[in-house]
Amino acid sequence: MTTYILRRLIQTAGLLFFLSVLLFALVNLAPGGPLSGQGQSRHIDPDKVELLKRQFGLDKPLPTQYLIWLVGNDWMQVDRDGDGVMDGYGTRLGILRGDFGFSFRTRQPVLTEIGQRLPNTIYLTVITILVAILVAIPIGIISAIRQYSAFDISVTTFSFAGQAIPEFWLGLILILVFYAWLKNPFTGDPLLPSGGMTSIDVSGFDLGDRIVHLILPVLTGALGWIAWYSRFLRSSMLDVIHQDYIRTARAKGLSNWSVLTKHGLRNALIPLVTLLALDLPYLFGGAIFVETLFAWPGMARLYYQAALERDYPVLMAVLIIGAASIILSNLLADILYAWLDPRIRYE
Amino acid sequence: MKRFSGKSLVVLVLLTAVLLSGCQPGADATPAAESSGIVIVIPEDPPSFNPIVADTGYDSLVMELVMLGLSDIDANGTVFPELAAELPTVENGGVVVDEDTGSMTVTWKMREDVQWADGTPVTADDVIFTYESIVDPEMGGWIPGIDYIDSVEKTGDYSFTINYASIYTGYLTQFGGEQVVIWPAHYCDASQGFAAWDCGRQPLSNGPYVLTEWVNGDHMTFTKNEKYFEEGKPSIEKITVRIIPDTSVRKTMLINGDADLNMWATEPMIAELEGEPNVKVSQSPENRWVVRVFFNLAANGTTDPVATPHPILSDLRVRQAIRAAIDVDTISKEFFLGYAKPAWTEFIREPYVCDIPRPEFDPEAAAALLDEAGWKDTDGDGVRECRGCETAEEGYVMEMDFHTYAEFGEPLELTQQYIAEQLGKLGMKLNLKVVEGSILWAASTDGGIEQSGNFDIDIWDDGYAGVDPTDFIYQYYAVASAEPDFGYNFMRWSNDEFEELLGGVYTLDETQRKQDFCKMAAILEEELPILPLFTAVNADAHSARLQNVQSSANDLVTWNAADWTLK
Repeated sequence: MTTYILRRLIQTAGLLFFLSVLLFALVNLAPGGPLSGQGQSRHIDPDKVELLKRQFGLDKPLPTQYLIWLVGNDWMQVDRDGDGVMDGYGTRLGILRGDFGFSFRTRQPVLTEIGQRLPNTIYLTVITILVAILVAIPIGIISAIRQYSAFDISVTTFSFAGQAIPEFWLGLILILVFYAWLKNPFTGDPLLPSGGMTSIDVSGFDLGDRIVHLILPVLTGALGWIAWYSRFLRSSMLDVIHQDYIRTARAKGLSNWSVLTKHGLRNALIPLVTLLALDLPYLFGGAIFVETLFAWPGMARLYYQAALERDYPVLMAVLIIGAASIILSNLLADILYAWLDPRIRYE
Repeated sequence: MKRFSGKSLVVLVLLTAVLLSGCQPGADATPAAESSGIVIVIPEDPPSFNPIVADTGYDSLVMELVMLGLSDIDANGTVFPELAAELPTVENGGVVVDEDTGSMTVTWKMREDVQWADGTPVTADDVIFTYESIVDPEMGGWIPGIDYIDSVEKTGDYSFTINYASIYTGYLTQFGGEQVVIWPAHYCDASQGFAAWDCGRQPLSNGPYVLTEWVNGDHMTFTKNEKYFEEGKPSIEKITVRIIPDTSVRKTMLINGDADLNMWATEPMIAELEGEPNVKVSQSPENRWVVRVFFNLAANGTTDPVATPHPILSDLRVRQAIRAAIDVDTISKEFFLGYAKPAWTEFIREPYVCDIPRPEFDPEAAAALLDEAGWKDTDGDGVRECRGCETAEEGYVMEMDFHTYAEFGEPLELTQQYIAEQLGKLGMKLNLKVVEGSILWAASTDGGIEQSGNFDIDIWDDGYAGVDPTDFIYQYYAVASAEPDFGYNFMRWSNDEFEELLGGVYTLDETQRKQDFCKMAAILEEELPILPLFTAVNADAHSARLQNVQSSANDLVTWNAADWTLK
């Protein structure tokens, strides 16, 4: 198993390198660029363009730009003031040494920018997944063992709706209902806040305030996943409970509960775990609507803005981190699979 | 079963760790809001407090709360001193012009009662430090007119002289306005560079407010600067700037009373807010953004109007016909909900307002012009062809691309469609294209549509910042600006008389300038390289309890935040 994981990790590194070349080319070759129109200016003065090109390192050929992005320029002479004379070694270290460069927009190190946002996205996503799973599992089980009951049929209907409703629409409706329309009967304030992670006027950590701010974003984010996972678990459970070993277990005289949890659910969960590991990147990807609607200071918003403004270093960093997380979650799925199902062995 | 629950425990511990790490940013939340605080909502974090770096508008918005320049511009376009004790002019001896060399010297006297928030006085050293940081060839920035400056010399603790190599008409607001401020020499670390230094994100204030907290992506908190030089100001104790990306959420917060100011209100939003008792909308007395149609006078895909003139648009009568066929009033009423004001010349803002009669909407005259120019629909397909026209081969079909950019939003796209429809009725077939602004405006080396000459007609909005149109006019209409990537004259228009007048407006003689600008307006009116159509609204929505808010086309709405009060 260790050899297998090692081999997969080495493959991952190779794949990431290939991806980084591809992404760098795609990002840089897309029409438009960071120097065409900036904020309020439709155009940037040609003198300013020249200065910015030099400061951003965009005055060099694309392969050189990639090389600097990858391994830095502290080993090569650079012309910092644009007079054609070399002024000494550069200061960039390159991503292989943990230097993702600086944001064109804020001139802050990219890792600082991401570091401020990533924990917030993880925080929201993990809670969303937890809620989705905790709600989806019982729903899936009940619909499986009470197949074609009123509960199952209403859950099926709900599932189709849940998967069909777009997040941005659902979020807006929830804000309208719980923020704009419904009021707290005691204070007259809106029932739930419109967004943000905490109330600005709350000092320190306030669990209640945190939870109140989580309700709408988590609901918006989790609904589609609840629908998806409960449907999945239902069919997975239905497969399992018609297996021979379940009949055998029942024949042994085990209680219904014991049969369902020990023999049924455990086997039905295996494909769900794989699915979950593979879905992780999508969960982060879906955060863009939730983060935008609920003013959640997360990374998806940072990425969206960087894409709009062609902030190449931020864009590249998020893309590479995203690519790495997709590849690693695939690996994780494979490993989890082997761990949960003793019959699977990687040699 | 045992093995499974062991794993669950590991997973649970990991998740808890992740959750706790996510809880970090909230740990340093601010103390409870004072009752006399207000909330401003904006869609994205300002990149910094230094608008020169990224010019997003949000940087200027927060900059105006904490930093001062030498001067600023009010909503009517009048320049007023901030750090300066008075504005230097030729009359008061502050500006001396050397007629022989064509150079000028401007002497500024500063107020002596302004302090940085740490108690250090704001002096001429700070101005010189700021100038030197800007012109640093390695890590500096670029501000309009910086190349005109030879040197800045200190003449006293509170006075200094700027030596210009030639006449620079924008000198009054060069170190002021919505973009440029004076930075503290003793606080900013010059080695980090003007564009990237930490003091650009943790500024030391000399303005009405002090930044006390910035939670990235969430909010910024400003409290009253106790050392602010204007007696008794500001009256509002605390300003919170919240980052709310979604437009409708910002609007709802304003209606609900959770926000006091939502900057840059669009026409549909103003219309929606009209009946709200708790909300007011402040409109700027002047408007900056003129929606305009640009003509490519060179053939699509080329940049030389002489060697390869545009087969349709190089004929003035066609441009005149297009203008006569555009119904600006209907566009204003239908798509801009009545808030767009007709504008038909570049010179609509004080002090350079030129008296050019408004063109009439007259589709019949337009059709007659096209007939006269030799464009007729002889095959009855509804599209005209060249039948005796002077600019294209016989039989050339009157069909062109019509671009606009997507970010402006629905009103502009509807306007584009409506104009295409109107011109379609006239027998001109326009293929609509909507692209990202950054692709439309990019340099020709980056595949920019305009700079490469890959367009026929396009429509979008532009206008000049501040009160001096000289550079703006130069960038759009000068011959030198027609060279791809050297300016924005992607119409590739030139006119000798105009070029000569343009050389003459670089003077401090205001009477002369006004005359010359209006002569230029007359030439543009005759030749129509650009069709100015109407101004988009410049407005900000605010709560009714917030007083003295004045939207301004010359600056961000926070330009007079020190004067705001709460009812």
